[in-house]
Amino acid sequence: MAFEQINPKVVSSAVAPGREVLSRRGSMLAYTGDVGFSPVHTGPGGIGGLAGRAVAGEHVSMMVAQGSGTVYYGFAGLYVTIIELDGTAALSVEADRLVAHDAALQSTVVFLGEGGGLRGMVRGAVSGQGLFTTQLHGVGSVAVMSHGGTIAVPVRSGEPTTVDPQAYVGHVGSVEAKVSLNASWRDAVGRGSGEAVQLKMSGSGTVYVQASEQKIR
Amino acid sequence: MQSFRLNGSRVLEVELRGDAVRAAAGAMIAYTGDVAFKNAGMGGGDGLRAAIKRRATGESVSLMRCSGKGTVWFAKDAMEIVVIEMAGDTLKVESEQLLVVSDNLRTDVAFAGLRGASSGQGLFTTTVTGNGPLALLSAGGPPIALEVSPQYPLVVDPQAFVASRGQLNQTFVTDVSWRNLVGESSGEAFSLRFDGTGVVYIQPEER
Repeated sequence: MAFEQINPKVVSSAVAPGREVLSRRGSMLAYTGDVGFSPVHTGPGGIGGLAGRAVAGEHVSMMVAQGSGTVYYGFAGLYVTIIELDGTAALSVEADRLVAHDAALQSTVVFLGEGGGLRGMVRGAVSGQGLFTTQLHGVGSVAVMSHGGTIAVPVRSGEPTTVDPQAYVGHVGSVEAKVSLNASWRDAVGRGSGEAVQLKMSGSGTVYVQASEQKIR
Repeated sequence: MQSFRLNGSRVLEVELRGDAVRAAAGAMIAYTGDVAFKNAGMGGGDGLRAAIKRRATGESVSLMRCSGKGTVWFAKDAMEIVVIEMAGDTLKVESEQLLVVSDNLRTDVAFAGLRGASSGQGLFTTTVTGNGPLALLSAGGPPIALEVSPQYPLVVDPQAFVASRGQLNQTFVTDVSWRNLVGESSGEAFSLRFDGTGVVYIQPEER
């Protein structure tokens, strides 16, 4: 496919005319062939989208690789997972977790308060992910980074999956995330289980979880 | 029998069927089904005597009891995981390297000799006895199991030590010449020597 896993922390991508790859600025490790990199200023959605991103804080500088050749991507020694999108479902992920994705994918910034109302906002605030998230639509590959690698946990309707907000990476499909507070008096006296705040994912799709409770940055 | 399954090398998947496991507090990353998480208490769920011992010795262990029906995924700081099946024997482990223990296993505190003082873990170590699986953490890469036999004693760095199992006698080695070589400021020149028959697990990173 488009991206190839070289080792758990490095992916490679073929670049050809008409097949550009967007990536986080500074994530190129090496390339072969005739490839040029240029910064991308206006994100998807034009100037409005850019302003939206700046306001949302959901902004990571991206660059585009053009030409023909192979580019190797990696970032800060973090684990990189390739997620293939087949066009039927969108991927929701934090912008700062994106290493690279096919330029053919449409990306939009979604306000979490929408739909979820106050709950959505609380979710963003609690999980430390801000109130906005990035969504990628279309057919193509995405390389997402994580601390310790990710596992894919299925979410089936009527069978919600609960994740630790700090271990949450992203999700694919029609999945709704809700904060559930599982706090008891034990947490108040410091004898809690350490799992007081949880993200309840319902709907159908896949949620990606990393093997650590450390955030990127 | 409880099933502990590795999903990759850094995530542990545990199937609960109405039974329970005890895990390091905060180590759950995801679950499905109906699972409750509760602090296992001061003694790590092993009663008042263990609680008092832990209080007194400072070999504290913060465990939570996970019970119910469903699947739980555990991970901690992207550390590698090893699953060990216990068959009535005793395992000595650094409390902070413990990820999940089956509820059938008992944890207690034992005097570890001077080793604890050198590795900064306190003078005491956690012992696990019984029948059932447990999962240990290894920082910096996959753990290494080193066999000890009477002819071949083993010497390890206390900071890399994770757990030991079997009929082992541990003694403390101070290498004065080595200490002189590295100088006082470079830290301890202590190592741990194991004699007997058994297995010692070490990690590729020093705490």
